[in-house]
Amino acid sequence: MAHEVVRQHLPLFDEDGRSAAVDGDAGRDLHYLPDFPEEDPYQAGHRTCAGCGPAIEYRWVLKAAGQDTVMAGPTGCMYVANSTYLCTPYTVPWAHTPIASGGSFTSGMAAGYEAMIRKGRHPGPYPNIVVMAGDGSAADIGLGSISGALYRNHDALYICYDNECYANTGIQVSPTTPYAGMTTFTPFGKAVPEGKTLPPKNLARMMAEGHPNCYVATTTVGYSVDLMNKTRKGLNHQGAAFLHCYTPCQKGWVYQTSMTIELGRRVVEAGLFPVWEYDPEERKYHYFHPPVQRPVTDYLAMQGRFGHMLPEHVASMQMAANRNWEDIGMDVPDELRELEDPERHKRLADEQYSMPLNRGVGA
Amino acid sequence: MTTVTTSPASGPAALERGVRTPDGEKFIDGIAGTSVRMNGCSAAAYAALYANVDVITAYPIRPYTAIMMNLAQFIADGVLDAEYVTADGEHAQLSAAFGAASCGARAFTGSSGVGVTYAYEMYSIISGARIPVHMSIADRTLDPPGDFGSEHTDALCTRDMGWLLGWAATPQEVFDKSLIALAIGEDPRVLLPQMVVQDGYFVSHIAGKVDLPSAAAVDAYLPPYQLPFALDPRRPVSHGPQIHPEQGPPLQLERARAMEDAIPVIREKTDEFGAAFGRHYSHFVEEFMLDDAEIAIVISGGHSVTCRAAIMRLREQGIKVGMARLMWVRPFPSEDLRKALRGVKAVGVVETNLGLGGPSYGGILAPDVTTALYHMEGTRPLVTSFMAGLGGETVPVAEFDWMAGKLAAAVRNGRVEKAAHWVGFED
Repeated sequence: MAHEVVRQHLPLFDEDGRSAAVDGDAGRDLHYLPDFPEEDPYQAGHRTCAGCGPAIEYRWVLKAAGQDTVMAGPTGCMYVANSTYLCTPYTVPWAHTPIASGGSFTSGMAAGYEAMIRKGRHPGPYPNIVVMAGDGSAADIGLGSISGALYRNHDALYICYDNECYANTGIQVSPTTPYAGMTTFTPFGKAVPEGKTLPPKNLARMMAEGHPNCYVATTTVGYSVDLMNKTRKGLNHQGAAFLHCYTPCQKGWVYQTSMTIELGRRVVEAGLFPVWEYDPEERKYHYFHPPVQRPVTDYLAMQGRFGHMLPEHVASMQMAANRNWEDIGMDVPDELRELEDPERHKRLADEQYSMPLNRGVGA
Repeated sequence: MTTVTTSPASGPAALERGVRTPDGEKFIDGIAGTSVRMNGCSAAAYAALYANVDVITAYPIRPYTAIMMNLAQFIADGVLDAEYVTADGEHAQLSAAFGAASCGARAFTGSSGVGVTYAYEMYSIISGARIPVHMSIADRTLDPPGDFGSEHTDALCTRDMGWLLGWAATPQEVFDKSLIALAIGEDPRVLLPQMVVQDGYFVSHIAGKVDLPSAAAVDAYLPPYQLPFALDPRRPVSHGPQIHPEQGPPLQLERARAMEDAIPVIREKTDEFGAAFGRHYSHFVEEFMLDDAEIAIVISGGHSVTCRAAIMRLREQGIKVGMARLMWVRPFPSEDLRKALRGVKAVGVVETNLGLGGPSYGGILAPDVTTALYHMEGTRPLVTSFMAGLGGETVPVAEFDWMAGKLAAAVRNGRVEKAAHWVGFED
């Protein structure tokens, strides 16, 4: 007779308003919180860059998932930086997959464990199955593979760690690279002054709309409790879950390495990365309304990849951010609405706290 | 503390055999010991049922689709307990099978034609990871143009990717070879993925008698699949990390040796199968009327059935012709082929495939055969090749007669006319 497939249930962390810590609150600088698990299935032994957003995200996700986890990682910067032969940062089983196979390989792992436990070939419980695909893998070459896995509803958590470019190969444009984001495939120049001309693909929304039975959420490394709770909610959800996580890339974006967490909050406060949760049972989106709303320049000017932006480019970015505020049901303050006017902006390079222009090619 | 932690178990997990469903037990009991007429696709599906596979990954393409249709029905009827993954393409299909087998599940997949090539990235990755995925192929012409017919090019494209690769010529052979391939590939001394290929339509869609064994007999022959380095939280391991260039050569050498090391296991498992089921196959090269042959056809797959008939007729006319059938193309049976063809004066390789611009300006197999025979001690036979059965055409007896004529002429003249003949386009 078939054996029962016993699934894990991971308790959530106390939120207590800490996710939304704002300026002036003592909590803003405290992103590492004492009640987090001590175990680190993502250990030392990798060689990610200083200030690496994905490395922070990896650590939190695996802290949240715990040791009874099986993980896959499609090709990307976090493949190359993490796993060097004879040296591994993982204390959980981990496998590299081809860049297009994030969803498909993981669905195979899930199917394998379902069958093996049912047929008495593995004692269980059903492990947490996690794949972390970069934005190139998740939004571009492996989009179909992840969509297939979500559609088939294999019990696993599919995470896109989004550093908004192909970073592994030296910073090339991906579908999630923001408008005007400079990459080596979208350089700025006289004929194309804004660099990237296209707006980004809305990956998480596509996943939620297209796979309405899945748990889908977005988060950033700015909100550790939120990130870890959404990881656990995704794992607790029986069936497929997709988590889109914003993870700054110091090498590709050119910012001070200590600003990774700060960027993870400012991107939300600037209205450029809405944080939400899609509940498949209610078929509803729950939007996070940040307590601060900032002009996009507060975010853009911290990064060299935007240093070339002209007033009209900054204004269109503000326009996009304002539409995002409306989408998530927040009022757009007049001062932000006024910033849709190019006359109100300088060249970003001339902004007071702007980082130096990134005129280098790649990283 | 808020996380769930399991302590790692000490020592390897017990070798567990997957339980069959009660309906599955009943079904197999009912057919065990009987002889059923079925086509090659059904035979492959029955082999997967007997092997009690855990995960099946499917994507439709003619003509192999019927293998997956049969398996879907087994699952729907409760006869087989397996996860059935309807992949979003062949790349995903192979990836999912790879993921499942990496966790320790017995994974079964398959394809045809451009489906085989769509998944191309995965072949080297799966064999390099030493994950014994099983793939059942009903071969098909590659595009262009759209052509459903059999041609061996699709599977042969993967010949250098580190998979065990062989053709089956009848439904019975499809059934048997699938089990033999699993036994070889999953053997801890081998750990390589396997491709069992049948000619599209000629084997996949033509019924033949298949003797079906008991579940116990198959269980005795085929041990439960156990990957020594499965992705299992109880024994964490990292698969497929990045290497530095200086680490490349030794790893590649290991992959090359894995192929060579499979050769004695292929012999052993083929013999064990014969002893267990009473059907004795050649390890690598089926020798048909080769003892006193002056000329010989080298062939693989279903057209060998016609070839045997043609040879028997030619023998009646006093022509000393024989046939060497390749049971496996990878690892290539160089030694067995040299043995089989010793004393033969001219050899013609039947190429049911395209090797455009290759050394013979014909097909893929002749260069391999020529290389093997070049190292023969004593007098080497002359070698030519015949482009035949392309696009799903039959290779009728008359064409084999024509080939024999070309080979006889080569013996008379002491040289071959050309390295590759296009049968039907030449006098």
